[in-house]
Amino acid sequence: MTTTTTTVRERRVAVRQNYESVAWKWMRYSAILLIPLAWGHVLIQDVLVGVYRIDLNYVALRWATLFWRVYDVLLLAFTFAHGMNGLRQVLADWFPALRARQTFGWIIFIVWAVITAIGGTAIIGGVR
Amino acid sequence: MANLRTTATGYVTYRGREGQVNYLLHRFTGLGTLLFLTIHILDTSTVYFFPSLYDHAIALYRNTWFGLGEIVLVFCVIFHGVNGLRIAAFDMFWPKYWNIPDERASARWTLGISLVLFIPAAVIMLLHILQNNFGLAL
Repeated sequence: MTTTTTTVRERRVAVRQNYESVAWKWMRYSAILLIPLAWGHVLIQDVLVGVYRIDLNYVALRWATLFWRVYDVLLLAFTFAHGMNGLRQVLADWFPALRARQTFGWIIFIVWAVITAIGGTAIIGGVR
Repeated sequence: MANLRTTATGYVTYRGREGQVNYLLHRFTGLGTLLFLTIHILDTSTVYFFPSLYDHAIALYRNTWFGLGEIVLVFCVIFHGVNGLRIAAFDMFWPKYWNIPDERASARWTLGISLVLFIPAAVIMLLHILQNNFGLAL
């Protein structure tokens, strides 16, 4: 079996700035920031510490340091927005009709806002 | 619905080789991570809203099946990250690498790097499960 490949010369085009082009760039720039944030979190909590040593006390101790609270706020803000926008893009791919994209867009926006608010309140409020 | 069916059959029948495998892995590791993340934000929020429920949530995480799922989650996060970096780097800085030979080679590298990062993490997590749930003494 032979495969023929064509070489494509690089071509630069000006893309008009709109919501989707900003969202497209956001996914890529946030990805670069998410590598240290999300990988750091998973490495520490899931691999090095492990769930068997995590309890209320552990969370309280971690959040006693301002650094880790800021870290967790950034983690919440960037991971969840990146993920929910990713879900929006996948759904737009599966259900491309304008009505469907608008409906899913609003549902995702509301779910994102509510859960981010719940998580943000918990990090700022701390362990009770 | 027709579009969804077209997409689903396209996932199976389209023979895009390495690039398509990574595309599908990227999509499903992303959706899987998002599902976990949503649950995880809510269960961690109990430390403020319902502190007495937090120990119950953690007990679920300590279950062996959940622990195995956590290992899968770690693969999802690692693969999605490595492949995401590849996509971001090619899209933003080096679009000249978006050609079929480079795409295939970089897709293989992505999978290789992901496995190299994943295997030690998986071994450590598996040992944690064996130590805590099956009495393995080291």
